[in-house]
Amino acid sequence: MQRSLSFEIFRYAAIFTFLALSLIPTIWMISMAFKPIAEWQASGADLTWWPENPTLDNFRFIFGESGSDLIVALERTAGRPILASLLAATFGTLIAMVAGTSAAYGLSRFGAGGNLPLALIQLRIFPPMAVMIPVMIMWAFLGLIDTWYGLALIYGIVTMPFSFWLMKTFFDDMPREIEDAALVEGCSRWRVFLKITLPMMRPALASSALFVFILNWSDYLIALLLTTRDWVTIPVYMASLSSSMTGQLYGAKAALGLIAAVPPVIMGIAIQKQLVRGLTFGALKE
Amino acid sequence: MASISFRNVTKRYGDVVAVDDVTLDIRDNAFFCLFGPPLSGKSTILKLILGLEQPDAGEILIDGRPVTHVSPAQRNVAMVFQNLALFPHMTALENVRFPLVERRMEPEHIRARVADVTEKLHIGHILHKPPAQLSGGERQRVAIARALVRDPVAYLMDDPISALDARLREETRVELRRIQREMGKTLVYVTHDQEEAMSVADGMAVFENGRVRQTGTPEDLYRRPNSTYVAGMLGAPAMNVLPMELAVRMQVADAPDRAANLGVRPENLRVGLGELAEITEVEPLGGFTTLGLSLEGTDLRATLRGQPKFTAGQKVGLTVDPGRAHFFDAGGAAIAAH
Repeated sequence: MQRSLSFEIFRYAAIFTFLALSLIPTIWMISMAFKPIAEWQASGADLTWWPENPTLDNFRFIFGESGSDLIVALERTAGRPILASLLAATFGTLIAMVAGTSAAYGLSRFGAGGNLPLALIQLRIFPPMAVMIPVMIMWAFLGLIDTWYGLALIYGIVTMPFSFWLMKTFFDDMPREIEDAALVEGCSRWRVFLKITLPMMRPALASSALFVFILNWSDYLIALLLTTRDWVTIPVYMASLSSSMTGQLYGAKAALGLIAAVPPVIMGIAIQKQLVRGLTFGALKE
Repeated sequence: MASISFRNVTKRYGDVVAVDDVTLDIRDNAFFCLFGPPLSGKSTILKLILGLEQPDAGEILIDGRPVTHVSPAQRNVAMVFQNLALFPHMTALENVRFPLVERRMEPEHIRARVADVTEKLHIGHILHKPPAQLSGGERQRVAIARALVRDPVAYLMDDPISALDARLREETRVELRRIQREMGKTLVYVTHDQEEAMSVADGMAVFENGRVRQTGTPEDLYRRPNSTYVAGMLGAPAMNVLPMELAVRMQVADAPDRAANLGVRPENLRVGLGELAEITEVEPLGGFTTLGLSLEGTDLRATLRGQPKFTAGQKVGLTVDPGRAHFFDAGGAAIAAH
């Protein structure tokens, strides 16, 4: 099909606009992470797209090394919050995926629970704040405040509905005959699930897990309420990177943001191959 | 080696009665066709035999023993599903040997069985590929191989070759017939294609809305259908059914008093000189010719040997081959000719 030149120009202009909208904040963050203090503190006119004197000072700073021109001392370094985020988000995702997948399978195959599963999303109906107050009290009672496992547990509970609904649609779409075939060919229900259903669901599990992980990884509110000192997570820690003398420590925040972006990106790349493959491609006759 | 029997079996899904009071005997070593239109309960019969569904009423016996409380795996019946249901994450080889691996057979035994069955189905060269890389016909063969590889008491196939083109279908069904004879096992075969059913089955059951309308050999059902429904399902073109008032004009002898309708197969309609009906259509098909006829507004079909010289619009006379008329009462049930 022949398209006119003006249409092509318009098309590329639109593409670049959208690209810019989505990429500029990212580029800005990456650039800022490597700028020395003088460059990111510069007001207005002096701002540059790229660092003129690239430096790793911001990274050194958040990990507690001197070498920065900043005259603020950090209460905490970034190492511990990174560990807290990794533990809480990973185990929270694990809890959500195991519970959500089992529940989704039970409902999709056996109608387990009847209408009860709708109640799963009720936690999402209320504003998070309203739910979190009672949770804070319960967690305090259970001694789970400011622990990574306390955080992981609430992450698992809060994101389970997502993994549940995602996995349910995948299970609903999977042809029953494939499981029936395995049953007839000598498998028990459990073996069918382990040998046939789960391997077939790998792309679905991977994409749901990534989604849930990102939700947990980027949570601010829950971590803010349930952690105090030892196990604050990256977002909470990031918010604390400011001082009365210098204001927001943008360079340090950008450096931390860059580090925080690494796990989801790695996960995304790792499962990319799974995502492009169809779920049951080739199992059935067309 | 097993007979399969249904005793007054009923299966409901909510308000829908999928299988309605079915009593059926499939004898050992038979190639048995379940035949009927889509959603007439044929596939549900297979699921009940497999144990994937439990009957709401009645009893199913395999080899004379009730199997109500026997799990699908223990029933030892193999199945080829309509959509084939291959395992997409396994290669063709892994698919074929799956039933044996799951039953913890000796590796040597597995190898020998797989080699045997893949040779029979000519799929030795594609075993390393996953289903996604196979053609429709190859997938079909892999699915059939997976069913044949072990030593079940019976094989069930749910319209397994419907996706193939006409020629391949004919070849495959002849091959299935041959394999079934070689294996000496009961094979229950679901189809909605009357030609397929007629050509391979030793016995068949005709279904309508979850009920069995008639069982018997294909020849029996063709020659002595017990209702206009069965008569209409078997044979192509279908049997002509016309009211007796019209039928008497073709000088049909021996009509029973109760007869409301006459049934006559297209090949039993004789076309000759006369003014009774008008030819509306001539379809030369090579070995024979199908005529479309209009008898006072009622459409009839006649099949004639060879390529007789008829043209559309021509007036012809019609008679029925002696002894080949079928009579049906007002409810559609057959009335035995005297």
